[in-house]
Amino acid sequence: MRGDSIDCFVVLLTRFVTGTMLEIIIQGRGGQGAQTAGNLLAKSFFKEGKQVQSFASYGGARRGTPVTSMIRVDDKPVRLRCEIERADAILCFDQSLLEAGLLQRATRDTLIMVNAAGSPEEPSSLGGYRVFHIDAFSISRQYELGRIVNSVLLGAFCCLLGEPAVDVMSATIFESAPVKPDENVAACRAGFELAARQFARSESTREAGVK
Amino acid sequence: MKDTSSTRMLLTGNHAVAWGARLSRPNFMACYPITPQTPILEKLMDFQMKGELDAEILTPESEHSAMAACVSASMAGVRVFTATSCQGLLLMHEKLHYAAGLRAPIVMFNVNRTVAAPWGFWPDQTDSVSQRDTGWIQLYSESGQESLDTVIQAFKIAERVSTPVLISHDAFYISHALEPVEVPAQATVDQYLPPYEPELFLDTERGESVGNVVSPEMFCQHRKDMGQAMQLAIAATQESDAEWERLVGRGYGVIETYRCDDAELVIVTMGSMCGTVRHAVDEMRASGRPVGLLKVRLFRPLPSAALRDALAGVPDVLVLDRNFSPGTGGVLHQELKSTLFGMPEAPRVHGYLAGVGGVNMSPGKIEELADRVCQAEPSIQSVWAG
Repeated sequence: MRGDSIDCFVVLLTRFVTGTMLEIIIQGRGGQGAQTAGNLLAKSFFKEGKQVQSFASYGGARRGTPVTSMIRVDDKPVRLRCEIERADAILCFDQSLLEAGLLQRATRDTLIMVNAAGSPEEPSSLGGYRVFHIDAFSISRQYELGRIVNSVLLGAFCCLLGEPAVDVMSATIFESAPVKPDENVAACRAGFELAARQFARSESTREAGVK
Repeated sequence: MKDTSSTRMLLTGNHAVAWGARLSRPNFMACYPITPQTPILEKLMDFQMKGELDAEILTPESEHSAMAACVSASMAGVRVFTATSCQGLLLMHEKLHYAAGLRAPIVMFNVNRTVAAPWGFWPDQTDSVSQRDTGWIQLYSESGQESLDTVIQAFKIAERVSTPVLISHDAFYISHALEPVEVPAQATVDQYLPPYEPELFLDTERGESVGNVVSPEMFCQHRKDMGQAMQLAIAATQESDAEWERLVGRGYGVIETYRCDDAELVIVTMGSMCGTVRHAVDEMRASGRPVGLLKVRLFRPLPSAALRDALAGVPDVLVLDRNFSPGTGGVLHQELKSTLFGMPEAPRVHGYLAGVGGVNMSPGKIEELADRVCQAEPSIQSVWAG
């Protein structure tokens, strides 16, 4: 599956070629697991031998208030100690958080993925941004994970990013899940498959549009 | 040389500190939890519970009591570690003077956080720079790796010059940032840091005491001795660092100059911002602007000779202070002006209050400031960067 997605996203392909740093923002609300997701993503990149830096807004964060997790991935040690001002990829846990403040940190090339119930089959173009909608709740309910959606979202995000490998992500989730490790891994893989299908559909639509 | 016996781990800056403390084999620790320091205490208690750390850990009712216990334990001749942050450090203030006066070689880690009021959790170094006159050696760290290495080095420095050491790293950007850290083998640290066996210590069998009433002359002589120990601390820090570098391949110096050769502007700062400045320096060098970084790692004692030497012949210096002393401005700005006093053709020193209260400082903002100062006369007062 990794082979299918690795050459998918234009920005990330450029990154592979130029070897520049990958900067990711995960936006969620306190209690949804955005910070955990950031750390799991960082752990997976670390396992793949990458240099990583992962930090999140903390302390003042309370259940329900916006929490931002930032991850930098590079081949060289990460020296920057500041916020990410231009993200290569954004993972948004809640559609209500996908607003101007967050989109300011995106460019037209930024991969944006949002958790949205009853999501459309194809990515929308929100104000010129290409946004992938993933209905993570339906999958997490299927695996009896209730409202805990980070395993699904991480699987889907890996697919669209093209890295880290879904096997590495699944192993990280398996080791870190406080409960139901098998269900969380299954949810991660289901998220990956969903994103792969959505990406394939969007590419064929785009190709049809070009023709 | 590269240390092949170390283990690469993904750690937060605070957990790297806990590893540094564990590997130094402290005998005693008294600590009070406070955001954003708490993960240090939690991790050390976790090590202790698993039997991986053979230390007595006391959790008293306040930081003041924690430091009082640390001073007493240190006087009894054992190796002592503690950690705190902002309000906690300030509550210890009286005992900081006491520890230094008793020449207790305690190592304390502080996580730099905004001082109340108003309430915040953000990186700001006012908490520790405001303790500069307490007689503690002060070091500032730029990464989780440097924090781990510095804790181990600090015991060597403290025990050599009988003076307590305070190490600080910034909240958030280091304390809670997860990054790869090389954790040295216990054998490597044991080789570097032998057990603490002081000549003088309190012993109920002997009935001696410390800190008694003295005459003005004795007091003055005591302060001269403290001053002398502080001056020796510069060489002790350099040598402890060099020895560590020989063992594990990582050294930091008392100051570090990065791409300062032929620099027309040198940016001087402390802590996590050094990393962002390195990035900004590379960008500026790439576009032909001769800019360098001078990182101040040892803040107390201030390595004046090294600073004067490093900045000789540099036309402009830009100091970035992530702290604020109302009525003066940036503390490092003030310190640098004073340390360059009387130097022939001293650089023009421009002081900016940058990132106070945790305000984000991006490489772009740093480049803007660099451009601004090259066209301006420096002012005596520090200027707000934003």
